Order: sequence, then C-alpha cells, then structure tokens
Amino acid sequence: MSVNEENKPHIPVANPKNRIKESTGYKVFTVFNTIIMIFVAAVTLYPFLYLVSQSFTSEQAIIAGHTGLIPKDFSIDTYVYVITRNDHEFLRYYLNTILYTVVGTVGSLFFSSILAYPMSKTHLRINKILSPFIIFTMYFGGGLIANYILIVNLGLKNTMGGFILPMLISTYYVILMRSFFMSLPKELEEAGEMDGLNKFGVFLKISIPLSKPIMATMTLFYAVMYWNNWFNAMLYLQDKNKWPVAYFLQTIIRGASASEADAQQVSANIKSCAMVLTVLPIICVYPFIQKYYVQGMMLGGVKE
Amino acid sequence: MKKTVTRLTSIGLALSMIGGFTACTGQQSAPTESTSMTTIPSQIETSATTTEKELPYKFGLGETFHANEPTTYTMFFSDASWYPMIDKWKTEGIFKEIENRTNVHLDIKSYDSGDYMNNITLDINAGKSAYIIPKIYDDTAFVDGGAIVPISDYVQYMPYYTDFYNKYNLSKDIQTITRANGKYYKLPGMKEGNLINYTFMIRKDIWDKAGVDVVELEKTWTWGDLLEALKKVKAYMVEQGMCKEKDYIWSDLWCGNESGKGSGGNLLGVMGATYDVNAGWNIGNGMRYNPAADEFQFSPVSDNFKEFLKAANAFVEAGILDPETFTQDDATATAQYFNGKTAIMSVNQSQFASFEGDMVKQLGEGKFENYCITLPMGSTKNSTVSPERLENGVMIADQALKDLGEDGFIEMLRFVDWLFYSHEAYELTKWGVEGVHYEVDADGYKHLKEGFCCSGLGYGNTPDNTLTDIRFEWGYAGGNFWYGGTIAEMEDNLVPKVQDYVHRDLEYREVPPLAPGIAPTSDQYEKINLIATPLISNVNTWVLKFVTGQADVEKQWDEYVASCEELNYKGLVDLYAQIYQK
Repeated sequence: MSVNEENKPHIPVANPKNRIKESTGYKVFTVFNTIIMIFVAAVTLYPFLYLVSQSFTSEQAIIAGHTGLIPKDFSIDTYVYVITRNDHEFLRYYLNTILYTVVGTVGSLFFSSILAYPMSKTHLRINKILSPFIIFTMYFGGGLIANYILIVNLGLKNTMGGFILPMLISTYYVILMRSFFMSLPKELEEAGEMDGLNKFGVFLKISIPLSKPIMATMTLFYAVMYWNNWFNAMLYLQDKNKWPVAYFLQTIIRGASASEADAQQVSANIKSCAMVLTVLPIICVYPFIQKYYVQGMMLGGVKE
Repeated sequence: MKKTVTRLTSIGLALSMIGGFTACTGQQSAPTESTSMTTIPSQIETSATTTEKELPYKFGLGETFHANEPTTYTMFFSDASWYPMIDKWKTEGIFKEIENRTNVHLDIKSYDSGDYMNNITLDINAGKSAYIIPKIYDDTAFVDGGAIVPISDYVQYMPYYTDFYNKYNLSKDIQTITRANGKYYKLPGMKEGNLINYTFMIRKDIWDKAGVDVVELEKTWTWGDLLEALKKVKAYMVEQGMCKEKDYIWSDLWCGNESGKGSGGNLLGVMGATYDVNAGWNIGNGMRYNPAADEFQFSPVSDNFKEFLKAANAFVEAGILDPETFTQDDATATAQYFNGKTAIMSVNQSQFASFEGDMVKQLGEGKFENYCITLPMGSTKNSTVSPERLENGVMIADQALKDLGEDGFIEMLRFVDWLFYSHEAYELTKWGVEGVHYEVDADGYKHLKEGFCCSGLGYGNTPDNTLTDIRFEWGYAGGNFWYGGTIAEMEDNLVPKVQDYVHRDLEYREVPPLAPGIAPTSDQYEKINLIATPLISNVNTWVLKFVTGQADVEKQWDEYVASCEELNYKGLVDLYAQIYQK
C-alpha cells in the first residue's frame, strides 16, 4: 500500500444491499409511467415528423396519398422552390422576422425593465396611481379600430414600428420583472448609494447584473412572441416586402377557401416545408433554453 | 380624501365614456331608415352621353375610357396566396396595361385574400378606405356605416352597366340586393344566364366497364338511379379487386370540417338544390321562397327536406358514401379518387382541368376518363339553389365622392364602368393582351399563345414547368376582375368536357324562379341573425346525424322539427312574412 493510498480520504461505498428496496408497486408504476410517457412523446412528435417527411416528399406522391413517416420519392426540390420562389421572398420574410425579433426584444427588455424597476419600489407614491393604470391594460384594451386609427395616424402603418410598438411592453412580463426586482435585497442598493451611485447607477450597476435570470427569461419570452406574431403584420403591414415569415406562413397554410370559384390550394409539401423552415430556429434553440421557460414562470413569484 | 379621489375618478371615467359615445355619432346617419324610397327600374335611362359637355376624359359604350390627364384612384385588391401579386404586375403586367389604355394609375392597397374582408372592414370603419372596393360578396356590414355610396343613385352615368342591365333585364335580380331604403350599395357582377358550376366528376372508364351507360341515364335520372348505378360500379370494382366489399367508393371533398364548415358542404348543397331546399353550403338562414304559396318558408322543416335527407342517407346505408366525407380533409378525398379507390367526387368548373392534370401525373395519359355528370333530380328538375344572375361586386367609398367632387366622382365611375363591365376590359383582365398572350381563331375561340399557360384558365403547365403562367407573371385571369358577363364570355375558357357538361345542364335541367327581393331594415337584419345563428347550427348538427345514420329520419324527424321550433324558426318565418308584405 503506498503512502498516497494511505492518505486518501475514506469514501464510504454504498452497499447495494443497504439501498431502500423498491416495492413491486413502485416498479410497476415506473414501467407504466415510462410506457405512457413514451406514448405521449410519440403522439406529440408524430405530427411534426410527419410534417418533416411530407416536406421531403414529391407532390405527386402526396396527391396519391403516399405520405408517412418515411418520405416517398425523397427530394429537396420543395425547399429550393420555397426559398427561391418570387425573387427569394421567403428569405426576405425570414430576414424581416430576425430583424423584428432582435430589435423588438432589445426594445422590450429596455422599456419593460425601466418600467418594472420603479414599480418595484413600493415607497414611491406614484406607484399607487401608476400600477393600477398599467394593470388596467391587462383587462381592457382600446379596441381594434381605435388602435388601428392610432397606428395609421402616427404614420406607423407599413413600418417596423407598426409591428413592434403595439407589443413593445407586455404588462404580464412587466409584473413578473417587478416581482423579481422586489425580491432583490434592499441593502445592496443602499450600499451602492453609500458608495456614490445615483438611482440610475444603482439600477444599471447593481440591479440589472443581479437580474440576469429574469432578463434571460424575458429575452426568451419576448423573442418567441415576436417570432411567432402574425396578427400585427396582418393589421399593420400591408406591404408584402415587410411581412414577417409567420404571416407568410399563415397565408399559405390557410390558402384558398374552397367556395371561391378559382380556388386552388397551395401544395401540401410547400406548406410543410415553409412550416419546418419557420419553426426550425425555435426547435434548434429550445432544448438549450427550455429550463428558462419553466423557471421563468416562477421567477419572482416567491417573495421571502 | 380617498373617497373624494375615487369619486373624481369615477366621474372622470363616466365623462370620458360619454365623450366616446358622442364622438361615435360623427358618422353619417344610417341610410336604412331613410324615407326617400326609390324603386329599381326595369330599364335604366342612361345619362351617359358624350355630348353633355366638354369632359376631361373620353368614355362611352364601345369606347375605351381615357382620361386626358394622368389620374390616380386607390383600389383595394384581394391578393390570393396561390398566385401572389408581384411588383411586375404593376410595372409591366395587368395594372400597367390598364394604365396604358386609360391613363388611370391604380394605387393598389392589397391584402391577403384570407384576411381581405377583415382588413378592408377595418380600413372602411377607420375612414381609411380606398375609393374602389372590389370582390365584395355581402355588403350588409358596410351599408349602415355611411362610408359606402348608394351606387343605385349613380348607375345612370355608367353606359356599359346600363347597357348590360337593360339588355338582359336584370332589374328583378338587382332587387335581391336592394336595401329597405330602395337603394343598393354594390355594383354586382351581372350574368346573362346561370351557368352551373358545381357537380360531380366520375371515372367514366370504370363506369362503362361496369355496364352503366351514364350518358343516357343522366338525362332523367334521380338520386335513386345514381345509387343503383354506383352499386353496379362498386360490384365491378370489388370483382376486379380494385376495392373490397367493406370499402366506400364515394369519399367526397369540400364537405369536411374545414371546407364544409360543419354543414355537409358541396355534396349536401347541390343535393338540396335538386329538392328545392337550402342545405350544405347553401343553407344560409334556411329561408326559401315558395312560388306556389307566394311566401317564404323555412325549408329545413319541409317535406322536401325530409325526402332529401332520406336520399342522402341511402348512399351511406348502402355502403357507397363514406361517412367520413363530412369530417375528413380535402386532400384525403382527392387522393382516393386519383388512386382509383373511389369512382365519384365533387368538382367545379375551374378545378376540373386542375384535377385532370394531377391525375395525368398520377396515372398517366390515357389511363382514365373523367366525366362531369348532370345532377340527378330530386323532387324538382332544378340544379341550382340560387337563380339570381349576380356575382360578387364592387363598392365605392363615400370618401371618393368627398375627395373628387361630383364631376370627378362620375369620371371615376365611368372608369370603373369600363374596367368591370366593358367587353374590352373583360378580355384584358381575363386573357391578357390579344396578339401577345392570346389569339382568337377563325371560329372565334380564344387560345393562349405558344409559350404561355394559365392555371386559372385551365391551361396547365408542362411537367417541367417550361411555360410562362400569365397569371403568376402578369396578374391576368385573377379573381378581382371579370365577374359575370355574357354566356359566351363566361364559357370562353372552359375546357371542352366542362363546356359539354354546362350545355347538358342547360338542356336537361331547370332554374328555379327568382325569389322576390327582401329588404330588411338593419334592426330586422339583426333579429334575423339572432334567430338564424343557433337555429342553423342546430339544423346542421341534425342533418349530419341523419345523413350518416346516427339518427333515424323516420323515427326522429318530429324530434328534430321540435328542436327547430324551440329555436324559434317560426319567428324567422313571421319576420320574413312581415318584410315581404311590407
């Protein structure tokens, strides 16, 4: 036995015999639970896999009803067609979406946080008036026509502002942020002030660095909201060159009403391909950030 | 202190609400209660003469409208996602060609066709409407707002419109869109006659082999005859191993949840028409004019309706019609027909050529024969439920009248008249430029020139897409123009098989008499809708149960009628009687 080995700390090794024995009922439950979860996962995944398969299947095979989880007559022609058709319009919509998502998310984070922060300071008397006004907007809106007239009269129709501004601040997310800010220790801010920081300095140099979890979550929430939104585009972006990809997708999925005399549906493989391309970034990113989604809902929800 | 603040806040809110209501009254008063009743003349005396004074534009019957100075009008445009508008349409396509001929630049405000009505409603209600508003099926929502011009006051200035109206005696048809104040607000697409659109296509090659002589049979056949024919076809298909005894050979499209909207869609719509009842797509509010009794009746509780239900159910009971027809999506139905698993399927004029193209790709040229059947007879020889010779139409925004003044407004109307009612514009918007995109042969038939195709006109592309589609490329043959027209105009793009079907329908079947115009006030409209919405939902639910065999027509008919009674169908009948008598 070497010296080194002698000096090694003693780590007790768990004796398998000492483990709590799982009851038969628990084992049966685990088996059933696993089977049910596999089933639920399969049911959830099936439509998406079907969609992916359809996007690689030829139009003729789809017309003939030959679609399943394995693509028939595998081809990437549909992808080439969707990306290149009408002067690469799909790419244009895609870039628009990326731009709206980035600008919108940054703007939303900035404005939501500078609104939520003072709201978290209960000693500010203005909050007694401000908070009810903000919460009021969660329950009552101005109405579609009034909002539309406002956007048009502000000259925002057919602009990026028309798409982003109406959802720049989400009351619900502001309240989540406010709750988080409220949970930060007051003493740290007071210490900052003692060291010579003004209110804005405390916010930027103490509160924001401590709020990374909520900022990450809000980034995610806002980004997904901008990425998926098509309704504002429908209302305020009449110019097709400014459409986000979600609205383009909406128009081709809905296609024609069969009762229209000259109706023709957009081919199923084109629809599937556009859907896959649109959700791809979200699907790629989601596995890495899903924990924030779950945590996000609880952040700031518990106050000590 | 707190109480005072609360009170002040409450008063402030109340005042702002009152202010809001007051602001809403700025709109023009509703025209429906107007006392200046006008009637629709059988012939319109035209004021459209070129000699009235020196005008800054050229117009007239047989003339191309042409403004002396470059002029711009705004127009809404319903942009179909299956042939989306591209910039080229404006720079060298349809809009440029219109501008070249008329000196009128159309400033297009386009919206996706699926959101078109929502978006233009928003624009109109917000006071931001374009001057010309095409593709309007139902103008009810706009009439009371005062944002739309009662166009009947101005039609005398439109030479092409009045000529068509007078030549084909459309006054009674126009009465069906006339409001309680005796005016109408939409320039409808007008048709010389009704050409049947929806029917069924069959695999004639299979039917022939099964020993069914459909060409002879269809002249006088009933739904019962069709059922017997389909039984023979099925027996043949089973014998040949094309399907099994348990399989259905009719699995229809345009009837499922999406297309049929829970009503049974096209199948029950056309079948109901032959029994002179509203059903499927044509259910509307169920009210139908009975010429014999000279009154409006709620057709879903009539004896004819019961017969129609029994006839429809017989196809399901016999194992011919797949009950999933009423829930499945359209792609499932077409796939089964294209594969030869089914032998009959719904079709319309424009889709026939497209379906044939898909079948050529699927089965190969010459491997099948499709045939559009004349609809079987129900209790009548009718093949349509709507005898009105009208199509969707164009509204004109009141803003145009305000902005342009009366003279400018009339000038614009004369441009609209040329664009939507002249033969020249009809051909331009449908076929493109003569000599460039199409040519007319010695017999007067139009053909696209070599190198061009158009899915909207039934000219398919080659398998490797070597032809240029005049619709995709330049916007011709789009759905915003060429509504209606003469029979010759409406037929000029039909493929021979469809043209043949249309002629057989005209020869063997009848059109029901035109119902008298019903012009409810806005209040009455509201009441009609309040009763009809839950009532029709109830009817549709029962109808699908009866047809698919979940309910028994004979045993449960009284129960069904009672359920309609509970939902006040008699109230609807009384309302109609009131309006009609007035």
